[in-house]
Amino acid sequence: MLDNLSSSLKDALKKLAGKTVVDRAAVDELVKDLQRALISSDVNVKLVMELSKSIRTRSLDEQLPKGTNVREHVLRIVYQELVRLVYASTEVRLEPQTILMAGLQGSGKTTTTAKLARYFQKKGMKVAVICADTFRPGAYEQLSTLCTRIHVPCYGNPAEKDAVKITREGLAALKEQELIIVDTQGRHALEPDLIQEIIDLNILTKATHRWLVIDAALGQQASEQARRFHEAIGIDGVIITKMDGTAKGGGAMSAVAETKSGIAFIGAGETIEDLERFDADGFISRLLGMGDLKALYDKATEALNAEDVDMNAMMKGKFTLRDMYKQLEALNKMGPLKQIMGMLPMGSMELPEGVYDVTSTKMVRYRIIMDSMTPGELDEPTLINSSRMSRIAHGAGATQDEVRELLKYFKTMQRTLKGLRGAASGGKFSMQRLMKRFSGQQ
Amino acid sequence: MFGGLRERLQAARNRLSSSIGAAVAPPAAEPVVAPAASAPAAHPAEPVKNAAPSFVDKVKVLVLERELIVSEKNIADALSELEMTLLESDVALPVTDAIIVNVRKNLVGKHRKIGESVDAMVVNALKLALLDVLGKGFDLNEYIASHPHPVKILFTGVNGTGKTTSVAKIGSYLHKQGFTVVIGAGDTYRAGAIEQIAVHAGRIGIKVIQHKEGADPSAVLFDTVQYAISHKIDVVLADTAGRFHNKSNLMNQLDKIKRVMKPDLVIYVDEAVAGNDAVIRAAEFDRTVGADAIVLTKADMDSRGGAAISIAHTIGKPLMFLGVGQGYDDIIPFDPAGVVDELLDGAD
Repeated sequence: MLDNLSSSLKDALKKLAGKTVVDRAAVDELVKDLQRALISSDVNVKLVMELSKSIRTRSLDEQLPKGTNVREHVLRIVYQELVRLVYASTEVRLEPQTILMAGLQGSGKTTTTAKLARYFQKKGMKVAVICADTFRPGAYEQLSTLCTRIHVPCYGNPAEKDAVKITREGLAALKEQELIIVDTQGRHALEPDLIQEIIDLNILTKATHRWLVIDAALGQQASEQARRFHEAIGIDGVIITKMDGTAKGGGAMSAVAETKSGIAFIGAGETIEDLERFDADGFISRLLGMGDLKALYDKATEALNAEDVDMNAMMKGKFTLRDMYKQLEALNKMGPLKQIMGMLPMGSMELPEGVYDVTSTKMVRYRIIMDSMTPGELDEPTLINSSRMSRIAHGAGATQDEVRELLKYFKTMQRTLKGLRGAASGGKFSMQRLMKRFSGQQ
Repeated sequence: MFGGLRERLQAARNRLSSSIGAAVAPPAAEPVVAPAASAPAAHPAEPVKNAAPSFVDKVKVLVLERELIVSEKNIADALSELEMTLLESDVALPVTDAIIVNVRKNLVGKHRKIGESVDAMVVNALKLALLDVLGKGFDLNEYIASHPHPVKILFTGVNGTGKTTSVAKIGSYLHKQGFTVVIGAGDTYRAGAIEQIAVHAGRIGIKVIQHKEGADPSAVLFDTVQYAISHKIDVVLADTAGRFHNKSNLMNQLDKIKRVMKPDLVIYVDEAVAGNDAVIRAAEFDRTVGADAIVLTKADMDSRGGAAISIAHTIGKPLMFLGVGQGYDDIIPFDPAGVVDELLDGAD
């Protein structure tokens, strides 16, 4: 995701790398590349023009801060302007509230409703959903099936045609719940009846949040649609869906700029867990190929908490095979390795297709080998000599080479964690070094 | 549909004509003053700055053939406006570039008779470029009539573009044309998808072959084809689950479906509101499972129609239908020549 955009931006920035003074021609070229990159990511054309104008003026007018080179200077400006474009992240509080979902047909409202229910449920809230989509056949079945899987009450009535009535009854029936999500029918801004319906729903539910669900592939139309929705019900957050495809979400960025709200969540996958909090800095970092450390950290802590791994102890340096075992399990929970790698600051490095699959099967092998070790060996891997190694290999049905490979991998992980500790205080440079080591190991 | 694009294109066209008109205006008055070719040097110096066809050439053409040559510089500004217009209408960047190059090629260096209207010339160039992109339409009726029955049609596309709704609409359309139709509920993944297609089919009076949620879609669609053969049904419409082109396992599944049901037509469904990604995914679907025609949905949401141009240009396959609303009749066969004519001739 966002690969093409970030690679063209990187190319554009590379051209500035060697320069010592801000060179008008180079900046112009960068701005032009940036424009093309953003337009081909579906960011609204007018927005792009405004953005590139201010980047150009600032790059040329602002004084080069001492100790920075031109590339850093311009990069910082581009970054700041892009962050301004996606505005702040929408605040999501864990308190009783009602959320009204709005969006175009087929943008993924129903799926996202279920994902949101799951998200808040995992945070320990009592969640319920109302299916106010009375138009699309199968909408209620879809939502109630998804909700049954996660044991969330779902109110709806496929025979009833009045969305407002269903919602009123639903609100009454679900009084006990802390958080209610109202899924609505897909509509677009040129349908006055449906716009009136969502205005009515908004008044009825007194919704705390009115979130607009936007397909990452939505094009130039995004601004206009967002503006109309905003006029109707006052959108206060945007959810970008289908970010696991190749679309770059520029349309959603335009929608955010139009509604002056923020991006609340990102949907990237077909299972109910595939929903991430949005973080503007992280989004832009990833856009510019600088890596999104925060999102990775959030995700890691969430998965690790479930497994009761003491992250702090691990960070302090006592890292044993036992920890690695838990980590591999947690990694499984974090989802496909590729998704995780996307968040790491890999720079422009391209991993060949297929590497991820191989790695995840390897991880399963590693776990099997570790199952054949004694508790003592797990705590103190240095105990493992050739006789023990032969026993382990025998027990796991593996070769000794595989056991050796596992131990080598363990040592790398140990070093990696040391690097991570350095990174927490040392900034991005040690992180980059770390990534080099990490990638060398792939 | 296309209303917005039409306004924009017409505005762009006016600018193009006026800039060509402006560029040639001063010499246009000349022929009267200098009928003899005796003193080219005495000619006013204004047109000299347009260097491409040499000044002497220009004068020669102007004087002898009473024609003007359009130079690249004449139309540079207008073309960059046209570029913006297309981009704002969701025509993907590479496609926009291609159209601009095409229009430029058609205009630059062209001889224009003094009497000939600039407007007509520009319209022609634009029309050629757009027709070139949109290709021919696709007549489904004729295809079905001229092929052995059952004609098996497979619908593919990414999530949420409106495959299921389009299957229902096309089912209803063919039903009204007098064909017998059966639908295969091949989306066994998304919760509620089977219910959705079953309700649609019930309303329009078409048989649906369905298995349970989570079943193998190839099996469902195989059964559908068998049903059609044994009941002598004309058309099989095969719905599938939405999938992203970058998920190789899902694309392999589609490939298996294709092997098992051997469709006569693979229809790629995408939405009119999609931006640049439309091009990427259309190309990928075309590459992996192929596409014989395109259905563009949600055209009522967006009057700009850029996605139609982008997709058609990228995979070079004809647009078959446009989905233009929520009712079963809200689907119209796509006629490129008609659309292009409407786009460009509307406000004369």
